[in-house]
Amino acid sequence: MGLKDVVKKAAFVDILRGMSVTGTYFLVDKVTVEYPKEKLVTYPRFRGAHALLTHPETGDTKCVACMLCATVCPSQCIAIEGETLPDGRSRPKTFELDLARCIYCGFCEEVCPVAAIVMTNQYELSTFDKRDFLLTKETLIANAVNVHKEVLAHRPSVGVGANGGGEPTATPGSGAAPSAAGADGTAHADEES
Amino acid sequence: MSDPIAQLIFLIIKAILMPVLIVMIVAFVIFFERKFAGFFQGRVGPTYLGPWGSFQSFGDIFKLLSKEDLIPLKADKPVFRLAPYIIFIPAFLVMAVIPFGPVGGEPNLFGHRFDYVIANFDAGLVLFLALGAIAVYGVVLAGWSSNSKYSLLGGLRAGAQMISYELAMGFSVVGVMLMADSMNLVDVVNRQAGNFWHWFFIPQLVGGIIFFIGTLAELNRTPFDLAEAEQELVAGYLTEYSGMRWGIFMFAEYVNLLVISGIVSTLYFGGWRAPFTFLDFIPGPIWLFIKIAVMVFIYIWVRWTIFRYRYNQLMSTGWKVLLPLSIANLVVTAVVVTLVK
Repeated sequence: MGLKDVVKKAAFVDILRGMSVTGTYFLVDKVTVEYPKEKLVTYPRFRGAHALLTHPETGDTKCVACMLCATVCPSQCIAIEGETLPDGRSRPKTFELDLARCIYCGFCEEVCPVAAIVMTNQYELSTFDKRDFLLTKETLIANAVNVHKEVLAHRPSVGVGANGGGEPTATPGSGAAPSAAGADGTAHADEES
Repeated sequence: MSDPIAQLIFLIIKAILMPVLIVMIVAFVIFFERKFAGFFQGRVGPTYLGPWGSFQSFGDIFKLLSKEDLIPLKADKPVFRLAPYIIFIPAFLVMAVIPFGPVGGEPNLFGHRFDYVIANFDAGLVLFLALGAIAVYGVVLAGWSSNSKYSLLGGLRAGAQMISYELAMGFSVVGVMLMADSMNLVDVVNRQAGNFWHWFFIPQLVGGIIFFIGTLAELNRTPFDLAEAEQELVAGYLTEYSGMRWGIFMFAEYVNLLVISGIVSTLYFGGWRAPFTFLDFIPGPIWLFIKIAVMVFIYIWVRWTIFRYRYNQLMSTGWKVLLPLSIANLVVTAVVVTLVK
């Protein structure tokens, strides 16, 4: 140990340098996001719980019951029962999606030829009742309030709303389920885009 | 009312008020430790209970009181029960010798003299060192009686650490004793009267740093928290303690932190005296409180910056560096004090 090192140790150079680092962290803004009070904005392509988009005029779902999503789904969590209307159009009679099985891969959204099923920014999915994980056609349509605004920006001709006959209670655990979840949070999504 | 009776009444009032005050302050010291720990790590610390999270300690106390009090089946039960108090009581006793305002002089309260110290005790510094040594018995006994290997190792480490540091600490304090010509803390503070360059931290800089490092070891705080050493020994001597019995250990630790901050302020930073004589109109207890607060902040800062020394590093630092340095400091101080006289 040379003289220089001895002087350095005696003057606590390294310790003071370390303390200046922690002192800086003491003063700068904190990185904590106090979750229930403030929420982060999701990324524009975040894959949360699903929603079914509707025609703005009729309020009925855009889904044509082509079964592509049910076929492509790796975890086979989508079950559709189709029906044909008198005018020849087809639509789903029932549309059931089991969120407990879903792996949130987003294949259903990619494969949908009419862009009816989309993933939303709804990530608060915890619930006390297992049955809440089974999304029906009505709850899926109601969940459209959580659709990413970027998705809607590219598809001006879709309606968002629960006038497909569904109950306003949407996805599990989303008592309030604000569409602007995290609008007051720190703007992480902005950094990305 | 005759003066002895008045003094007795004052003494009882002081002896009751001081611990109560300290207990209240300690609750907030614990809160600030957690808050600042968060700040030093870029977090926000506790925020929920009370304004700015400041009632967190009371929540902790209620939680600890509601917990089950476990004593291991093969523990040495009387010693296990006794150990927390061996740490707890010396921590409070040291408070008695710290002056928090002027002592002696003219009658200043209801025609009687009110001394701002509980015990104007001629061997105050020795009492402090002795009580600090007793407190280590609490750690050692807690480790011994728990009948757990982690606790035992923690207790042994505390004992070894104590031997390495108490010597250097004692020698560094002797420098202050020589300069003040007294072991009474009241006289130590009176000798530092005047502006801040009369304080002992300037002539006793080396001794002061050694004493500060020694108190870090005495408080069992990082970088010398080998007796607890979460990563190696689970929780060291605290491993088998639970509930409020554990809480008493933690509480005593923070009382110790407060009291030792008071001792450091008294020995090296002028105690209750203002840094400039024109600020003397602000009463002494407030100055002592400010100095203690700053010291506590420095202790917290050090704790959350420096990581734990290895066991052999602690030993070699204590015996090979601090002890020779403190003896050299003592010799130089003695020579200079004699020459000046």
